[in-house]
Amino acid sequence: MEIQFGLIDFYLVAPALALFLFSCVPLLIKVLRGNVEQNSFATLVYGYVGLVTAAGLFAPTVGTERTAFEGALVFDGISSFSTAIVLFVTGIALTFARDSRSTNPRQFTEMVFLLLNCSVGMLTMVWSNDLIVTFVGLELFSLCLYMLIALSLEEKLSKEAAFKYFVLGSFASAFMLYGISFIYGTVGSTYLPEVFQASQNLLGTNRLFLIGFILLLLGFAFKISVFPFHAWAPDVYQGSPTPLTGFMATAVKAVSIAFMLRLVAAQAFTVERVWPFVDALQWVAVLTILVGNVGAFRQKSLKRMLAYSSIAHSGYILIGIIAAGIGGASMLGATGVMFYVLAYSIMTIGAFGVLHMLETRPDSDLTIEDLRGLGSQRPWLALCMTILLLSLTGIPPTIGFFGKFILFSAAVKQGLVWLAIWGVIGSIISVYYYLRPVVAMYMEEPLLARSNSDSKPMSYFAVALLAFLVLAIGLASEPAVQVVRASLIKVF
Amino acid sequence: MLLSLLIFLPLWYALVIALLPDNRWIRPVSLGLSLLHFFISTALFYQFDPSKPTMQLVEKAAWLPTFGINYFVGVDGISFWLVILSTFLTPLVILGSWTAIQDRVRSFHICMFLLLTSMIGTFLALDSILFYVFFEASLIPMYFLVGVWGGPRRLYATMKFFIYTMAGSLFMLVAIIALIFMAEEQLGVMSASILDFYKLDIPFVAGDWLNTQTLLFFAFAVAFAIKVPMFPVHTWLPDAHVEAPTPGSVILAAVMLKMGTYGFMRFVLPIFPEASEYFAWLFMLLGAIGIIYGALVAMVQPDIKKLVAYSSVSHMGYVMLGLFALNIYGATGGLYQMLNHGISTGALFLLVGMIYERTHSRMIADYGGLAKVAPIYAIVFLIVTFSSIAVPLTNGFVGEFLILLGAFAADKILAGVAVLGVILGAVYMLWAVKRIFFGQEGKVLAEHHGDMDMGAREMIVMAPLVLLIFWMGIFPGDFLHWSKASLDHLIDNRTHYELNVEE
Repeated sequence: MEIQFGLIDFYLVAPALALFLFSCVPLLIKVLRGNVEQNSFATLVYGYVGLVTAAGLFAPTVGTERTAFEGALVFDGISSFSTAIVLFVTGIALTFARDSRSTNPRQFTEMVFLLLNCSVGMLTMVWSNDLIVTFVGLELFSLCLYMLIALSLEEKLSKEAAFKYFVLGSFASAFMLYGISFIYGTVGSTYLPEVFQASQNLLGTNRLFLIGFILLLLGFAFKISVFPFHAWAPDVYQGSPTPLTGFMATAVKAVSIAFMLRLVAAQAFTVERVWPFVDALQWVAVLTILVGNVGAFRQKSLKRMLAYSSIAHSGYILIGIIAAGIGGASMLGATGVMFYVLAYSIMTIGAFGVLHMLETRPDSDLTIEDLRGLGSQRPWLALCMTILLLSLTGIPPTIGFFGKFILFSAAVKQGLVWLAIWGVIGSIISVYYYLRPVVAMYMEEPLLARSNSDSKPMSYFAVALLAFLVLAIGLASEPAVQVVRASLIKVF
Repeated sequence: MLLSLLIFLPLWYALVIALLPDNRWIRPVSLGLSLLHFFISTALFYQFDPSKPTMQLVEKAAWLPTFGINYFVGVDGISFWLVILSTFLTPLVILGSWTAIQDRVRSFHICMFLLLTSMIGTFLALDSILFYVFFEASLIPMYFLVGVWGGPRRLYATMKFFIYTMAGSLFMLVAIIALIFMAEEQLGVMSASILDFYKLDIPFVAGDWLNTQTLLFFAFAVAFAIKVPMFPVHTWLPDAHVEAPTPGSVILAAVMLKMGTYGFMRFVLPIFPEASEYFAWLFMLLGAIGIIYGALVAMVQPDIKKLVAYSSVSHMGYVMLGLFALNIYGATGGLYQMLNHGISTGALFLLVGMIYERTHSRMIADYGGLAKVAPIYAIVFLIVTFSSIAVPLTNGFVGEFLILLGAFAADKILAGVAVLGVILGAVYMLWAVKRIFFGQEGKVLAEHHGDMDMGAREMIVMAPLVLLIFWMGIFPGDFLHWSKASLDHLIDNRTHYELNVEE
């Protein structure tokens, strides 16, 4: 077989190449200078330059629909939108990582290298148009994440978290690979368009293909921590360095959900044979919302609380995915999912960012008590946190409210009112635990003295930017909705 | 333009307060700005034409056109007075809290202005999602008002208040979404406009609980009933009222409770005409129970503030009784009672706050013989009490009389029960007045030898309220003629209600 690559193929994947190249630069410098850690700011700048270059190379391809490398990669609306989210979140996570207490100052270079390559893996995955490429991307970013977690200065929990994530993640990957093999065995191809084309027929007739399809979905269900595959999330989120927790909670979910949307776009849920599975998925969504919200209710550690809340948010997103799939790729559902992913990414990484700014030791595990008096001691930071938490609760006029509004609209539109009602019940429970930190910040007496010397200006700026975006995109949600719709219009 | 100014200027005031360099200027500047806002709002008297039942001074701009959501505001006879009430009370509250709020003064005044924006926005919004946004957003400043400046159990109270209201309104959100899609089905375009909701034909089956209109009706009704609050979902109110600082209690009672009753008039009655007629007995019954229950519980309260809080439950029961009588007397009385309750209960909370500031006691048992040392205070308190228990010549009488008139036309038994409530109301208020102002000198008077009577500032705060109590009681026509056309229109065309708009 003769395989030919055009220059255009390389141009299309240039963002990933740029990220990879720039991730190597600081590492090379460090190695060439005798393994001496360079100025962390300079290292950070290499990371930023990589991201900006990637974004610059990627921008001209937005809005076009192309495939590269014989169709192994696809560049359409979903992949461009996810690329933007991944690059943005990586930039924020880099900023936080430099300021973090748990970042080893002698290994920051490695951290930047791994973070950028993590996004290379994520980009590969969202671009993938072939199950093998999907898997390669998934493994690339997962491996980077395992190492990133273990790099933490914190000695015990982070190692446990890395190992736990590694073992369970490999387990999930194995499931997924098993599923892919079934799909390959029945379709004779791993090329997604062919798989999708065959799926309409095979899902109804071939039990092996159905099993393969479900196993593939389960692998992603693990990544977005859906009940009953959620149990790892609180431990891993708590053990990981906080900037990374924010990165994991947002970027990993964003790319996994983007891939699930592709399955939905292929009208997989409309096949009659899959309906029992879709019914089960509805219950999974409900249980995810309940487990997440009730779990978060009981947490003392803020990181664990946010971990459970992120499980709950996966549940809300799952509502949107079901709504998008059940009506045969409904535009509204997909818009809801994508918009919510955007909203969720902004507010969640922002909330983790505030937490990381308050940490004083590598092994800090902030509880609600630690936030006491923040409102008077660091009013602007407290304000940012309040805005982010209100948005997570879904109170207007924040982006979180409009996210939920569109998701629930999609559910109601598809006749899934009961799912919307469960979403509402989850939101009501969440009011309590999201507002408890606000109570601590403003309404309780300060517990400890806080010095302003440890102000971390770059993280501060990032957090303020995220809080501003939460309000700004909330108030002007129409342009954002239009962007999301435009990115989906060719796929759906 | 005027309505947008009314809604959004307070945001700029909040910004001005936030940027003031000197803490000593905050109170005067904030008072000045709130007075300015009141004067701006009086422009409504010139621009609003009371002879027409239409939505006036309408402004419309696309906000989220994908879902048919617009920035759409307008005023009619129903929202007219509620807007004026909000802008009228805010300067009084700011002046009233001059000495009471000493801690975090700047944040307090910012909260007041944010609250003002959300209150006016709620009353003026003609788009259901815009309404929802303001309705929910009003929770946040109130949450902080109670939580930061409140009493000892403030954290419990503010959380309860927030969760109760949020729980109700989230179900309303689902109902709003359902109506938006129904509009798409029946009118061809997605629309969140309340005026389009009026045109919808929502299927209703009497006797069946699980039909579309009944479900949607209850989704809305429960949200607003919690806000009103109606028996049996009133339990957040005594906690929130008692723990809130005086300004918080005043705004909460005087304006925020009206968001609930306003919601019934704007959404529930006209959008779900069949269901609201079918279930009118239920809401009248709950209203009547609220009247009696609120009065009985108020009677045994040892704490003045709690007494006033439970009297709110009782008074709001009248409003609900009037609204669900579904005739013109009931509706007019209901609207008038909303204003009365705003003025008399607001005044009572201010008065309780004034005496609490001096003695730090709200226990009725600690008082007695206060009339001797604080004669002016006693007179004002008595006048407000008369208004609260609906003595003729005060505003309360007009409202309750109209409501009872309407209720008798609708249901004689419940109206009879409500009349009993009038008597009970007189009992608990007058009994409290007797124990506080007359008789043996109480504990606090023995301990406090300072000046107990009202100062000049406090008299200025109370004067407009006392004036209004008599004005509204003696010349109700001056106030009602602004709302008459809209109320007539609402009652006459309830089953096929439509509102036209005017620039």
